[in-house]
Amino acid sequence: MFRRIWALLVKEFIQTLRDRRTLLIQIGLPIIQLTIFGYAIRMNVEHVPTAIADQSLDPSSYAYVQAMVNSGYFDAAAYVADQAAVIRAIDEGRAQAGIVIPPGFQAAVTRREAQVLLLVDGSDVFTSQTAYRAITAIAEQHATELMIARLERDGQLRSGERILPIDARVRILYNPNLDDLWFLIPGMVATILQTQAITLTAASVVREREAGTIEQLLVTPIVPGELMLGKIAPNLVISMFNMLTILAVGLFWFRVPFQGDFGLFAWLSFMYVFSGLGLGLLVSTISQNQKQTQQTAMLIMLVGLVLGGFMFPRYLQPAWVRIIGNLFPLTYFIPIARGIVTKGVGLSYMWEHVVALLIYVVVVMTLSIRAFRQKLD
Amino acid sequence: MRTRPSNAMRRGRGERRSRGVRHSGSMRRLVAVMRKETIQRLRDRRTLILILAIPLVQMLLFAYAVDLTADHLPTAIADQSLDTESRAFIEALLVSGYFDAESYVTDQAAVVRAIDEGRALAGVVIPPDFAAAVERGDAQVLVILDGSDSFSVQAGYSAALSVAQARALKLLASKVQRMGGQLESMPIQNATHVLYNPSMKDLVFVMPGLIAMLLQVLAINTTAQSVVREYELGTIEQILVTPVRPIELIVGKLIPNVALVIVDQIVTTSLGVFWFGVPFHGNVWLFAWLSLLFILSGLGLGLLISTIARTQKETQQITALLMMLSQLLTGFIYPRQPMPPLVKAVGNMIPLTYYIRIVRGIVTKGIGLAFLWSDVAALAVYAGIVMFLAAVTFRKRLD
Repeated sequence: MFRRIWALLVKEFIQTLRDRRTLLIQIGLPIIQLTIFGYAIRMNVEHVPTAIADQSLDPSSYAYVQAMVNSGYFDAAAYVADQAAVIRAIDEGRAQAGIVIPPGFQAAVTRREAQVLLLVDGSDVFTSQTAYRAITAIAEQHATELMIARLERDGQLRSGERILPIDARVRILYNPNLDDLWFLIPGMVATILQTQAITLTAASVVREREAGTIEQLLVTPIVPGELMLGKIAPNLVISMFNMLTILAVGLFWFRVPFQGDFGLFAWLSFMYVFSGLGLGLLVSTISQNQKQTQQTAMLIMLVGLVLGGFMFPRYLQPAWVRIIGNLFPLTYFIPIARGIVTKGVGLSYMWEHVVALLIYVVVVMTLSIRAFRQKLD
Repeated sequence: MRTRPSNAMRRGRGERRSRGVRHSGSMRRLVAVMRKETIQRLRDRRTLILILAIPLVQMLLFAYAVDLTADHLPTAIADQSLDTESRAFIEALLVSGYFDAESYVTDQAAVVRAIDEGRALAGVVIPPDFAAAVERGDAQVLVILDGSDSFSVQAGYSAALSVAQARALKLLASKVQRMGGQLESMPIQNATHVLYNPSMKDLVFVMPGLIAMLLQVLAINTTAQSVVREYELGTIEQILVTPVRPIELIVGKLIPNVALVIVDQIVTTSLGVFWFGVPFHGNVWLFAWLSLLFILSGLGLGLLISTIARTQKETQQITALLMMLSQLLTGFIYPRQPMPPLVKAVGNMIPLTYYIRIVRGIVTKGIGLAFLWSDVAALAVYAGIVMFLAAVTFRKRLD
């Protein structure tokens, strides 16, 4: 049995090594991906281009606009005349937020009936959410400051006294500076590895079938299980290599700290990559031609990306969507990667995900072998 | 399959004799290639079903899965006072809708542990003697957030601060009142309007981009394998000995795919508008024409990939990469505005970048060509360049 597997391994490795160009793509691509994504994704939207229509141009309105710009969330993209011009700027996409201050602002503030209109572009979700939150918070803060200043002037409050009776402090665990990359990189590593693993094996069996070489393999004494292992082995090496390279890019280029145990991470990613390769193999055995494989693999990658918890938080999804998400190894590995890399916790905090991944590998391999046998008949 | 001469070839050979009028000959050859492609497409039922069904499945999943408004964060609460003030504060947090009580624990260590385990994404610690501290004016509350989850941390941060501020203001008001003063109303009233999407529904934002992305994935996938497959199977030689010219072959391969993608476009758009109730503000005909332009550029890109790649495996690698780049760099989910110029430039090489702005402009904003012309022009240039490159590389490969 070992001799048979060995022979198969040699064949697969030779095939893999012979096609230099493909091998180069397989090794280089994940690195390029991680580098681009590391620079591309920023979830903290700052410096939102803002159109400002200040129709008062008095000290109060200046102070108000200054408070907005100083926050760093808004940049003055254009000073325009009126509300219509602000909306036009947002329509054109030149601005994504707008401030309209009506005439006579200073007097209105003294009468305590000043009104400001804030406009936010609702067609861009991240920007609109951040802008909405920031613009409301800053405006409220500004109003509170004005009010407290007046209370002090009127003698209702002694100046210097702590004004607000509750002081809420926010402590952010694991990532105190809220660096986007710290939580993005582990998820990206997981996502890229899954895509890579599925693509690596998805074409393997169906390709032999299309090329007709599968018949030659079948007349040898090799059993399906051995064939599957032989197909996975070289790709396992490539995937683990990918894991190391992209993790290195994340740690040394993007300077994301690795809080946990690297040995544990290596073992669990080995299991994860195995499950991804197994999934690709399953796709490959049930497809009739490479075109079908591609469509199915695409579907899996896209759905995995959406449901796995990398792009959208999983706890917000309805239950049935979460169950579908459980069909992808990515779903289990993202909490593992975040747990080890960002949180620095150990096996006892994540054993459910590890067990799930283990079961996944076994099930997927069994299904592949089954499907392969059925196809033979 | 390799040995069976296809219909197109038979027609092609027969046609060689009657090669009189150039133009009509070209037309006939084109029709022959189109017939071959259509027959091949219809014959492989399973692939056809996959092609048509996948966008629908994706659309449903996306629509239900995409929820970017991180509210109802599972929260571990350590209330060490258990007095009226602390209860009122926790009540205010829960009523805000941003926090849900996941568990009540005893101290800060237990809160951190709950977040470590991933059971909670946020935690609140209220120290003992809260009510007395509030009376003295130096009460402190600690809010702990999970920094490994970007969504919850951002929403939780601003929500916690604003709840605390509101609560503090309320207490201040009652204090001033007791001192005999009168707390005035706020000097400035802010009204915030969210344009195009007043209730900030995620679906309204995601759906147009989703339709655009599914369309591109489909357009690229349907053509990406077409040429390289003929190479791998060796059938390209059989086509090359016919009088079919490269450009005729390419156009012939494109047209059946255009039909397929248009069907898909109509289905996904109607699903988005009628099933998910995403409002369509703009001009439907403008949308249709610009979509056709986009479909052509997507198909052209697929064709280019197909002529460059040597094996189907390579094609698959390239299309998978392209799909990932499309999801992240085109503004589909993540905003393009904060990206560095180089990354923006990479995004500019994907047709989806232009089309997403067009779709959002027409569907969500309801604006017209006057606002969109630069993206439309970019898309038209793109389609032209891609088609040209595909034709050139294809001809080179023949030599």
